[in-house]
Amino acid sequence: MGSCKLPSHSFVRLFAVALLPLAPCAMTASGQQGASEDIVFKGATVMTVSHGTIEHGAVWIHAGKIAGVGETVPAPQGATVVEATGMWLTPGIIDPHSHSALDGDVNEATSPVTPSMHMIDAFDNRSADLYRALAGGVTTELLLHGSANMIGGQAVVIKNKFGLDRDAMLFKGAPGSIKFASGENPKRVYGSRDQLPSTRMGNFEVMRMAFEDARHYMAEWDAYDAKIKKGEKDVVAPKRDLKLEALADVLRGKLYVQIHCYRADEFLTEEAIAKEYGYKIRAFHHALEMYKVAPEIAADGTAIATFADWWGYKDEARDAIPWNAVMSMRKGVRVALKSDSDDHIRRLNSEAGKMVHYGGATEDEAIKMVTLNPAWIIGVEDRVGSIDVGKDADIVLWNHDPLSNYARAMKVYIDGELFFDASTTGWGTTHFTGVMHDGGDFGSEDQEDGQ
Amino acid sequence: MKLLKLAVTAIAFLAPWVAATQDRPAASSQAIVITGGKLLTVSHGTIENGVLVIADGKIAGVGAAGSVKVPKGAQVIDAKGMTVYPGLIDPETNFGLTEISADDETNDLEERSDEIMPHMHVADAFHAETDLIPVARLNGITNAVVAPASGDTIAGQDLFIQLYGNRQQMMLGNDVALAMNYGAEQRRRGGRGEGGKSKYPSTRMGLITELRQTILDTQAYVAKRDAAAKKPDAEFKRDLKYEALIPYLKGERPVVIGVYESYDVETIMKLADEFHLKVILNHVTHSQEVLDEIAKYKVPVIIGSIYDAPRANERYDAVFSLPAELAKRGVKIAISSADAGGPVSSHSSRNLPYAAGMAAAYGLPYDDALKAITLNVAEMFGFGDKLGSLDAGKMANVVIANGDPLDVRTDVKRVFIQGVDVPLVTRQTKLRDEYK
Repeated sequence: MGSCKLPSHSFVRLFAVALLPLAPCAMTASGQQGASEDIVFKGATVMTVSHGTIEHGAVWIHAGKIAGVGETVPAPQGATVVEATGMWLTPGIIDPHSHSALDGDVNEATSPVTPSMHMIDAFDNRSADLYRALAGGVTTELLLHGSANMIGGQAVVIKNKFGLDRDAMLFKGAPGSIKFASGENPKRVYGSRDQLPSTRMGNFEVMRMAFEDARHYMAEWDAYDAKIKKGEKDVVAPKRDLKLEALADVLRGKLYVQIHCYRADEFLTEEAIAKEYGYKIRAFHHALEMYKVAPEIAADGTAIATFADWWGYKDEARDAIPWNAVMSMRKGVRVALKSDSDDHIRRLNSEAGKMVHYGGATEDEAIKMVTLNPAWIIGVEDRVGSIDVGKDADIVLWNHDPLSNYARAMKVYIDGELFFDASTTGWGTTHFTGVMHDGGDFGSEDQEDGQ
Repeated sequence: MKLLKLAVTAIAFLAPWVAATQDRPAASSQAIVITGGKLLTVSHGTIENGVLVIADGKIAGVGAAGSVKVPKGAQVIDAKGMTVYPGLIDPETNFGLTEISADDETNDLEERSDEIMPHMHVADAFHAETDLIPVARLNGITNAVVAPASGDTIAGQDLFIQLYGNRQQMMLGNDVALAMNYGAEQRRRGGRGEGGKSKYPSTRMGLITELRQTILDTQAYVAKRDAAAKKPDAEFKRDLKYEALIPYLKGERPVVIGVYESYDVETIMKLADEFHLKVILNHVTHSQEVLDEIAKYKVPVIIGSIYDAPRANERYDAVFSLPAELAKRGVKIAISSADAGGPVSSHSSRNLPYAAGMAAAYGLPYDDALKAITLNVAEMFGFGDKLGSLDAGKMANVVIANGDPLDVRTDVKRVFIQGVDVPLVTRQTKLRDEYK
């Protein structure tokens, strides 16, 4: 790693020095060679997400972070200026439900409880899925285990820095999430093999049994720790069990619980079981019937990651209505839209645009569903999801209002560095070289269902 | 206020039908005049502050304010600030052949017992009461081609429908086209598909040979039948499979060929040319290398899904820009609502206008994009004189929306099908209103 390079402008030097104790060598530490320290976007329609839209606004990014936003910004003279008049500027799109870049390794469908699976172990950073998502303005993704299992594996959060190595694509400091599921998929996958579960009763009992195991495991360790603390000798430590460790982490609140769940009755049962065992549910995914019980779920503080308008592909999607997202939002639920698809991930911006049509969301409300709200579901809302000073400079420039399907992502920056530029020939990527790997299945109907 | 007024008018107008259970509204004998809107005629440009007259289920007049004769006593609909355009036509759906995709009991998508099934008539299975049709109608889709799924090389014959009326009224044309497919997906018997059974044909060589033999057999059948007809006493047993193919081998009706890869396009078009089939190409989403050749075929092309994945090392917009690239070469194009990945999901037919909008975002001129989901589709399937544009004499399939029909943010306010002001009620709006 090289030394910190400071900008020459005296004001900025002063500013940078002030920041140094907090973020020493932020640029070089994250391996961003060649990125300009200071970039200023001028003239764009800036959709901040957190505090409205600024016509002819400016955004200043310094050392990979947003340093200023407003009608004007106090950027240093040496900053690289990106003339963006006539364009729209938003934070990077965030997908809280993707199975991209896993080469089909979505479900360890050999047991309904597999909490010690880690999606990072299947992550293929050269997958074309990532490239196409990047070209659609997606900068952060939560890569989830599938929904074959009541308790699936642990997610990985990535920044879509396509072309960098695997480790450089991980979202550093993002909290851990674990995928749960319910309903038709687990009961079909195991029921078709004459195994437990084959009904919704079986589904939920499998969860309770797993948490009973975890409680027992925790108690054994607590007893052991207590004996050690008392100074007892010849105490034998219980066996470390990866599966039970992971379940214990759920009960300890160390993992965000993300649940694939469609039906209204199942949201209520899931919340009841969460209370029974003392953990919180971060978000219901799919959640197509949330409009039926939104006030109850809003009171529990659980968010949803839903589709804009998918319906009818399976029985538990029969009562899906495209007004679900906006109706649930109006009743107090935090609502995000997600892809669950290597196709739709390329156009989440216009999926959000549909919310203007279905239910009359404002543009601010709609864009929030694919930026700040999914950031909250992943637990990175203090880092990304809006154009605010101090946040990561994950920025998309669009040639049209991003809530329209006419919008194309023209430039995509992540941590202040340009990763996609549609105006260039070839792929438009700035870092990727070599051969892309084929993406996953391109279907768009609950592709994670574990068949 | 205007919107409110429109809504109130709509409710007042609808109320008697809503009250009458099961009875579908018929076209009012009263003429309807839509005034003040921006008319996207498709056939002859845009008319700001236009007037459109509907009488007896047909468009009776279209033009600028003051230029159209308005019948006395007509019901006036104020469409100021609105956009008025012809009903959209989806060139490939499975309406009435599926309800819940994952529930096979509700599916009549294709006959999988053999690859050569021209005698399967979609019209026989069409379930007019499906929930899918009102849902699509709500976004201004008024007509559609219903086709079987794509597993067979010859899957059956398409039905052309309108999205309103009783079953007979909806079925505008039975057996309007032959549904054919060629490529990797149809090789299912070669141990590649379900059961792992190995049976002819299991390769592209097999598929083409079987098709060619079928056509030759049909020609032999016709010769035998014609010979038998000359001898009045001769007993001749009809073969429904060959009978079904005859109009298509005569070039009387179009053959829709679903094909994705460039080399498959070239192979199947050689066969089509050999037997003088009247071809409509479908899909072609991995055929970027042969667009000039496709233009030389002088056949219309349905593009779907515009959301199909490009190949791994292609540019991200290789498929998004396909409609523009074909139109640029003078190809007559239609755009379908098909979902990415192959199988049609008519649940998303309501997104048809947005697929056309996507094509416009990637270079297709706006007027061509609108034409690709209206007039071009009508013309491809033999309804060019009845549907697809705002022209006097055509069926009054007319949509009023609060903005650009191809933009996802636009809300459809009113849909007329053969002059009937169709209630914008679906199972989904009922659920919405129940839980409001």
